[in-house]
Amino acid sequence: MDMAGVVNPLHQIVPAVEVHDLTVAFDRKPVLWNIDVTLPQGKLIGIVGPNGAGKSTFIKAVMGILPLSSGYVKVFDEPLNKVRQKVSYVPQRESIDWDFPASVMDVVLMGRYARLGLFKRPRKADREIAHDCLKKVGMEAFAQRQIAQLSGGQQQRTFLARALAQQADLYFMDEPFAGVDAATEKAIVSLLQSMTSQQKTVIVVHHDLQSVRQYFDWILMLNTRLVAAGPTNTTFNAANLQSTYGGKLTLMDDVADLIRRERYPSREDNPAAL
Amino acid sequence: MNALIEFLSFSDPNVRYVTIGAVLLTASSAMVGTFTFLNKKSLVGDAIAHAVLPGICLGFLLAGTKNPLLLIAGAFLTGWISLMLIDLITNKTRIREDAAIGLILSVFFGIGILMLTTIQKSGNAAQSGLDHFLFGKAAALVGQDLLVFSIVGIIVVIAVLFFFKEFALLAFDKDFAVSIGLPVRWIQWVLTSLIVLAVVIGIQAVGVVLMAAILITPAAAARFWTDKLSILFLLATLFGAISGLSGAFISYTAPSMPTGPWIVVVISTIAFFSFFFAPRRGVINRFIRQRSIRKTINDENVLKIFYQLGENSGNFHSPRTITDLVRWRFYNENLLKRYLRRLVGQGYLEQNNNTWQLTEAGKIRAQRVVKIHRLWELYLTTHMHIAPDHVHEDAETIEHLLTPELEARLEAILGYPKVDPHQSQIPYADN
Repeated sequence: MDMAGVVNPLHQIVPAVEVHDLTVAFDRKPVLWNIDVTLPQGKLIGIVGPNGAGKSTFIKAVMGILPLSSGYVKVFDEPLNKVRQKVSYVPQRESIDWDFPASVMDVVLMGRYARLGLFKRPRKADREIAHDCLKKVGMEAFAQRQIAQLSGGQQQRTFLARALAQQADLYFMDEPFAGVDAATEKAIVSLLQSMTSQQKTVIVVHHDLQSVRQYFDWILMLNTRLVAAGPTNTTFNAANLQSTYGGKLTLMDDVADLIRRERYPSREDNPAAL
Repeated sequence: MNALIEFLSFSDPNVRYVTIGAVLLTASSAMVGTFTFLNKKSLVGDAIAHAVLPGICLGFLLAGTKNPLLLIAGAFLTGWISLMLIDLITNKTRIREDAAIGLILSVFFGIGILMLTTIQKSGNAAQSGLDHFLFGKAAALVGQDLLVFSIVGIIVVIAVLFFFKEFALLAFDKDFAVSIGLPVRWIQWVLTSLIVLAVVIGIQAVGVVLMAAILITPAAAARFWTDKLSILFLLATLFGAISGLSGAFISYTAPSMPTGPWIVVVISTIAFFSFFFAPRRGVINRFIRQRSIRKTINDENVLKIFYQLGENSGNFHSPRTITDLVRWRFYNENLLKRYLRRLVGQGYLEQNNNTWQLTEAGKIRAQRVVKIHRLWELYLTTHMHIAPDHVHEDAETIEHLLTPELEARLEAILGYPKVDPHQSQIPYADN
């Protein structure tokens, strides 16, 4: 066992993320149903599932970027808003307009904003941290480069450097390997593994099933519902893969469509809350 | 001319005030507009600009005079209502944002014109000048109006500078802003309020109808010149200020002329100039770059003929006639002669009467192109598993494009191979 776990037993007790009865709907149609899952600290955790399974939706909902239809989320046993500074989110690279007038350094400095607070400009110390983070992802030579001129892999590294600059304990990353060359992917994976060895928790939306066993300690298999979650060796097996990728549950899907058409709420209003 | 000198001397205190006012109004609009532009919400600015008209009329009806504070309050009110309605329609119905903006813009503007006409027909003497809000009149910026509008302008400027970092983050990556716990809704509310305020004060100089131009065009023009947000912001402000200055000038020299259209002409001229002449992003520069790329390709293709003929004959420097060249690769003769002349001028070829031959520099350049071509063909077959008879066309482009750095990487990846997929020798420079 690693020493970090022994020195700080709290890490072993408090889970990184607890999700209770989470349901998320777009235009009233549920895209995630009743997700109940607890994710441990200090692990590299993969989220897999077919297209439209709600992988991105899941982490956006946990981060409070999308509204929940029902359920709640706890991070380090606290409501998310209490521990935002300990949590970092890396959006999908394609969700950003990379033609925005900014340099690589500008983007990485955004990772410091949460600690800076409103209205304050980054200081020299922040720049130094940002520079260190760029070094960790091998981008220090590109600090002043306009972001539109970066390759896909370099854009991803820039986002990663921004996440590192947040100095968080828990990281959510939406497809960090999308559009990235093999060398960059390898570099990113070893960086993530070194982070988990320092008791950081990294949760990654992933779509390449080939590399799951090699990369992840833990796996979360989604297809609108939670199919399975647990250590990769025991969870990532043929039966679970079959239920994850073996097609949608068509009855479930038709009911979801019906909810949207009839404009039903996906949950009854809580009478106690009224 | 005299008018210009008189204007620029600022000896008339009235000119001074009007100018300061107009510049402040247009510059602050351009500052806020930079973020509207970066948020890709330009049309929303237009909707707000039109939607403040009923508010101004309402303010007038309540006060019975043109009290600037009440006019601003009324404009603020209807500007905000229009925005909330656009949001409501977009979120709660199947109508998309563009249609919602079109709907709200025309409904509010229609009501505004209706109210304005009613007021004008009412015979209230105080209403004269209210129609200046349609097309703007910088010269009307005097006395109490100027004071109130300038104070609001300064508030807008300070607020934008205060929120600069947050506005930029929101425009770039809103999800990330939410994820770090920024009060995103609140900041958006501030930005929208600033847009409304900028519109409210800007219409004094520019008018309701053309207000969107002064909000959006400065930033759009500045975008051609820079990739840095801070410089974009300063340039947009400068462009806005220039157009405000020109508006004040025209208002002074031709008092019957509305200021708004004039300001818009000036800012649009700046935008057009940027569109054509900006380095890198400008259209003309792109055209020139395209031409120089075509030139490179043509030059290198002609040099390649000499090299390949040399490979066949064993002598790279033997003289060739037009007929020799055209037999290897067909060219229009006049065109070919033009290329040859150019290559002689660049020192890659030597001409003797009707024959041409490669110089040493010409041979080196041609050899590099041929080498890259064959390396690329090999790369496509070995690394991309493309059939050898499908790789030529692709290599025809890549041979002109690769940088020395990529060339070196390609060589290293392939391990300096001797022959390409068609068993042609790959020539390396001997050093």
